[in-house]
Amino acid sequence: MIEVKNLKKTYDGREALKGISLAIKDGEFYGLLGPNGAGKTTTISILSSILTADSGEVIIGNYNLEADPKSVKKIIGVVPQEIALYNELSAYQNLMFWGGLYQVPVTELSKRTTELLKLFGLEDRKNDKVKNYSGGMKRRINIASALLHQPKVLFMDEPTVGIDPQSRNLIFEVIEKLHENGMTIVYTTHYMEEAERFCNRIGIIDNGQIIAEGTLDELKSANAVKETIAITFSNLEESNLKEIASFWNDIKQIENTVHFYSSNVKADLSKLVLQCPQLGLEIINIEILKTNLETIFLTLTGKQLRD
Amino acid sequence: MIKLAIKDLKLFFKDRRSMLLTFAIPIALITLFAFAFGGAGRSNGDTKISLLVSDLDHTATSKEVIKQFDSLKSLQIKTLPLEDAEKAIKKGSESCVLVIHKGFTDSLKSGAALPLELKYDEAKGMEVGLLQQSLIPTLSMLPFSLGNSKEAMGNKLAKMTGTSNPQVRQTIQTQSNNLFDAISKGISENGSKKKNNPTKSFMGGDIKMTKLVKATNDNQLGLIQAVAGTAVMMLLFSVVGIGMGLLDEKQEGTLKRLLYSPMDPLNILFGKMISANIISIFQLLIMFLFASVVFGLDIISHLPGLLITILATAFACSAFGVLLASFAKNRQQVQGLSTLIILVMSAIGGSMIPLFIMPAIMQKAAVISVNYWSIQGFYDVFWRNLSIFNPTFISRILVLFLIGIILNSLAIVMFRKNILKLT
Repeated sequence: MIEVKNLKKTYDGREALKGISLAIKDGEFYGLLGPNGAGKTTTISILSSILTADSGEVIIGNYNLEADPKSVKKIIGVVPQEIALYNELSAYQNLMFWGGLYQVPVTELSKRTTELLKLFGLEDRKNDKVKNYSGGMKRRINIASALLHQPKVLFMDEPTVGIDPQSRNLIFEVIEKLHENGMTIVYTTHYMEEAERFCNRIGIIDNGQIIAEGTLDELKSANAVKETIAITFSNLEESNLKEIASFWNDIKQIENTVHFYSSNVKADLSKLVLQCPQLGLEIINIEILKTNLETIFLTLTGKQLRD
Repeated sequence: MIKLAIKDLKLFFKDRRSMLLTFAIPIALITLFAFAFGGAGRSNGDTKISLLVSDLDHTATSKEVIKQFDSLKSLQIKTLPLEDAEKAIKKGSESCVLVIHKGFTDSLKSGAALPLELKYDEAKGMEVGLLQQSLIPTLSMLPFSLGNSKEAMGNKLAKMTGTSNPQVRQTIQTQSNNLFDAISKGISENGSKKKNNPTKSFMGGDIKMTKLVKATNDNQLGLIQAVAGTAVMMLLFSVVGIGMGLLDEKQEGTLKRLLYSPMDPLNILFGKMISANIISIFQLLIMFLFASVVFGLDIISHLPGLLITILATAFACSAFGVLLASFAKNRQQVQGLSTLIILVMSAIGGSMIPLFIMPAIMQKAAVISVNYWSIQGFYDVFWRNLSIFNPTFISRILVLFLIGIILNSLAIVMFRKNILKLT
């Protein structure tokens, strides 16, 4: 569905994209992860044809983006990071306007608008001005606005930033439903749990390059990411940490808990349970923290995802 | 494109600030200026008003009078035969002619009423009013400055009393001489430009006023100036507000979202132009309707010309607003730039002060402003009563459309360069 080859873009002498290549299958849910300034939004802006790449090739749904941007635009929907709505218009008026830009016949558009308002739980507030909506409600309309022309590919640029749990759950349900119906989705987010929940495949982007790509399991195994054994002590002192460090290099203290990073949790757990009491430490809790995208990202880039 | 325009119109009518700027403030200003101009203008010492003079007396004294008028800073004197002067007034190129009739010198010497006549175009009442203000002080001084002796004044006073007693006449002459000296002294000390000059009423300061051309519009010049001048100036302010919607769209992210759609990016600009035009037309119509209802401006009998001028003005002004928004990089830049440009254009273009009382150089500079062409168009319609097929009127309308085309073309270039790049 989407094929990107060696995409490059330079802003004011700074290389924002240094040759990105992607291949996203029809119906796939692809996550694009990276810290701020990594190149996520630049990539999406180029794929959605509002920014021109310096070089490279993009094919979306058999259309070459450079040669036929209009056809590409007809089959894609974009949910921008910011809430891009007319605050003085109602939700219904906003949806009718945004859908109207795609030449959807008015009766069909009205029907779809009503369906989407229902799907996003805003049918009873459809005539209220958007400015009177909560952040979560605006986010819902922001997403609905990109769906009226029933795109084959949906680009979602951090669509759940700053919303309440209720709206987040509703949006998650809608996103899953869209995916189930076969829509190809390219999703950027800072929230690891979202990427882990939705994405078939994930591309990690940093400094304008895809530095790793694959399923979550593929990323874990390919990068030998360590898991965490978190042991909480009742009597942890500063001097104990030096003693622990003498036999375990990779640790991190969080209050009374010490995180032991391990490549082999089963073997290392028995070792720790035996050694720690010998230092006079009393164990009150043990927890195994599974490897997640956050740790993978940290391992790959040396940065937190929100840096 | 149409959908964008409809959306913009909806947003516009929901925005109270825009409504206030577009309708309420202009109406308040029109009211203010209408009252101000309705009370006639005031002479500006630095401004020369053209005055034709026809000397039928052909004496050294009459020539001296003309010379005195010519020395006034406020007047630009042109001496013409009466026939030519009347022609110029009828043609509309001049407002009035001061006729110095035969017998002027004799009257001046004998203290009789001066045979002076001001033949004028009623439609240019404001300009004539200003001329009168300039003429009266000089005329009042004539008995003192041009050989009218103390004796003549005494004779006149004695004549007024109707006495033939030589002693009484002598006493009157003595008193008259004293009064003459006092008045002469007073005039020379206080200057001659005081409005309520004490000599005026009995020393021949009055001029016979004759309407050479009757006004076709009940002499609504002040009102037309107030309405047209204010409406155009305020329209410029409001179209800048509409144009700034482009920058708001950019700031709020809706411009980017519009660009995600398959429509041509230029349609965003065209949609803005359409909505700006519609709102401009609507605003001007409301302004003139208001002037008609409240101040009695006759718009019905001038409807075709009015509508054409409104269309041309709306086109030129909305292009100006859209260009400014396309040119600037942010809202603050537009606000600063627009206020400056609009006030300058309004000042030199005749929105604030009628052009004819401005210095000649300012009148020449006025042609660079949209205000000038628009206000002249409204003058053509309401004051000069020109037909819509009159070449002068057509040329002004064409200039307005040309301005609109040039500004819109520049807006397209700047939109591509600034707005689209900033997304």
